[in-house]
Amino acid sequence: MKRALLILALAACGMPDRDPKWRPAGATTPRRGGTLTVAMKDQIRTLDPVIAYDEASFYGLVPLFATLVGYEPHGTGLVADLAERWEVEPDGLAYRFHLRDRLAYADGSPIVAGDVKYAMERALTTPDSPFGPMLVDVVGAQAVIEGKATDCAGITTPSPRELVIRLTKPAPAFIYLMTMKFTTPQRAAHVAAAGDAVRRAPLASGPFQLESWDEGTKLVLRRNPNYWDPALPYVDELVMYENIPRDTQFLMFERGELDSAERLASPDYVWITQQPAWRPYIHTGTLLQVFASRMNTTVKPFDDRRVRQALNYALDKEHTRKLLNNAAVISHGILPPGLPGRDDALPPYPHDVAKAKALLAEAGYPDGFEVDYMTQNDEQGEKLAASLQGDLAEVGVRVRIQLVSFATLATVMGQKTGPAFSLTSWVGDFPDATNFLDARFHSRNIADENALNDTRYANPELDALLDAARAELDPAKRLAMYRRAERILYDDAPWIFDYHPATTEVTQPYVRGFELHPIWVRDYTHTWLDLGEHGERVPR
Amino acid sequence: MIALVARRVGWTLLVIWFVITATFVMTAAIPADPAKALLGPHADTAAVERVRAHYCLDDGLVTQYGCWLSSVVRGDLGESFRSKRPVIDIIADRIGPTVQLALAAIVLQLVIGVPLGILAAVRRGRWPDRAATAATLLAQSAPQFFLGTLLLYLFAFRFGWFPIAGSGSLAHLVLPAFTLAAVGIAYYARVVRSELAEALDADYVRTARAKGLPERTVVLRHALRNALGPLVTLIGLDLGVLLGGAVVVEAIFAWPGLGREVLQAVLEVDLPLILGTVLVTAIAIAVANLLSDLALLWLDPRLRDRR
Repeated sequence: MKRALLILALAACGMPDRDPKWRPAGATTPRRGGTLTVAMKDQIRTLDPVIAYDEASFYGLVPLFATLVGYEPHGTGLVADLAERWEVEPDGLAYRFHLRDRLAYADGSPIVAGDVKYAMERALTTPDSPFGPMLVDVVGAQAVIEGKATDCAGITTPSPRELVIRLTKPAPAFIYLMTMKFTTPQRAAHVAAAGDAVRRAPLASGPFQLESWDEGTKLVLRRNPNYWDPALPYVDELVMYENIPRDTQFLMFERGELDSAERLASPDYVWITQQPAWRPYIHTGTLLQVFASRMNTTVKPFDDRRVRQALNYALDKEHTRKLLNNAAVISHGILPPGLPGRDDALPPYPHDVAKAKALLAEAGYPDGFEVDYMTQNDEQGEKLAASLQGDLAEVGVRVRIQLVSFATLATVMGQKTGPAFSLTSWVGDFPDATNFLDARFHSRNIADENALNDTRYANPELDALLDAARAELDPAKRLAMYRRAERILYDDAPWIFDYHPATTEVTQPYVRGFELHPIWVRDYTHTWLDLGEHGERVPR
Repeated sequence: MIALVARRVGWTLLVIWFVITATFVMTAAIPADPAKALLGPHADTAAVERVRAHYCLDDGLVTQYGCWLSSVVRGDLGESFRSKRPVIDIIADRIGPTVQLALAAIVLQLVIGVPLGILAAVRRGRWPDRAATAATLLAQSAPQFFLGTLLLYLFAFRFGWFPIAGSGSLAHLVLPAFTLAAVGIAYYARVVRSELAEALDADYVRTARAKGLPERTVVLRHALRNALGPLVTLIGLDLGVLLGGAVVVEAIFAWPGLGREVLQAVLEVDLPLILGTVLVTAIAIAVANLLSDLALLWLDPRLRDRR
């Protein structure tokens, strides 16, 4: 209705030319200068790196804070960032990082190894930091979390340019923690002086520094002249509008008020992907995320593996793909595409109604059963649940849909007495299988409340495999173990595997060097503006 | 008179207390765990337990309530769980744009709605009346998300007369204020029409006409004055509600008001922020009602004698 009337109004005014208004000026090498203006749907909560843990806040953190280790510009390979190199002891129990020479914060003061130690200890001592618990493998970290010590014994600084971190057991995935923004160096004196205001007083070490922040409205960043790589960033200024709905962003983008529009809302997405003139400026990337339906494997009827497999055969993943306008990769399991250890040869469960019915009959449910399904009360949650409901009805499983908020879903799923059947998702912190599989399927994570393993799936064979893989130092052996783990989970099917979401962004033709990042989504360090001689946009 | 005012103020305080207490009880009934919402989906049991302990979420409802109420009385609304920003700062930041939008909407409602209503009442049954009735029906049945999107598309995107989103200038205010006021304009017009129509049939109007007063004076001086009572009450109610923030309109136009903040707080079970914003909204509604009651007392001497 809303759309139909808009189209009517549009027809009344005459069809406007909706092709790109500008073109690249034609530079062959990156040019410096200019202001890049973007917007986001949500608002940035905080710029405190030990607290910020949502996509919008990360948009602010990524340009402001550098870490010892970073990701390559458009991928998940690790590169040297503030550390020029690092070594791992052969037993995998110690990491030694060498900081670059003459590192400085945006205010000109030096960055020293002790600032990284302080940042990590700050995460450990801040009770509501989501990151402290990630450091449990570091020697002495547990004592700091419990308040028995303030100094983390496993983190030492032999010199201002050297940081050594000792682990209690080998954990090859540890290196990825050093890419997370909570490990960005912070000067203790700065944090102490800022007090509660530290959330809006970032001491920048990344390519940009804070110019101004009108909370909930606009974050303005400008070039950090002290960034270790003098060639970067290319743009002088980065403006991020907050709280702009996606369809509004697209209108602003078409008017030329934005240089980029994030995650297009579905009508805009459908329209623009069909425009040849826009095609070169559409960026699509699969995110390190997985969406599925989880089943409590300890309660009837889901305690029978055949039932769980039957539901996997019953779900038509093509429906999912269509409902998401193709912005999804159908999954065969948990690990997203591109994640090391994912078995790309494993095909997703095919849509096979006969097989599903046979399995249900074998398990003693020839006429199916009735079951509640809890999902998130947003447009996408409702659409996908209705699709699941229809698919499962074909094999006699009658689904009743319950809609709740994300916060409620997150709480009750982890309860022993919570819903047996619901939507689930996982957003990877870093590209390692342990971040996905251990959390969700190791029996260690089963608890009466807040269980991360909310399928309550307990398999000693998988536990042993995950424990061994977590500590395995030989990368090839380690990945082979994760492939085996994926196969076990595929067969036991504690989830109805569904999809990995993709995201799409469209940029103005003069925006160059931008690709969606699998972890950060938006990273403008290498983005530049191909403008005319005097910084003006060149008309098409 | 003073006793009457004092009694109204007393009632107002009681109402505010009741609203925030009821909100407190309701937040406790939400099945979502604020600690889990705060730490995110990756938090394990131990981390959630630590945060629950840190924020005294395990201390029992009565203790928590006492704790919160005593800090509120001391003027401390606590910190938002999610952003760690003092709730009072968040509200202070958002209240300005909210008041701006609310007042602009009320002014539009009065400036457009009242004359429409007068016109309809005076020309009862003829085309101005029918046109006004049709227009008010249309305005009242167009949902804000539709009207807002349409105005945004036509006047900001296609014609470029107004900025698409944001705040800071009078031009930014026009479309959201109009979207917000549309229903009110229609409602005010209908109320004024029916009250004025009734008044125009009253004996004192007949007397005024019989005295030979010009029709203009009869309508505006004699009839309209008596028809304004319900409108004053309405303005009080509207102002209170509008000061609580306008979720839909704020979202469409990226207007940085309270409504958006309240919605986010509820979705994320950000308890201090929920309680703080509800408190401010309750005060706004109660005070606006108090003022409209007092205005009525001043306007209508008959009410003063009713105890």
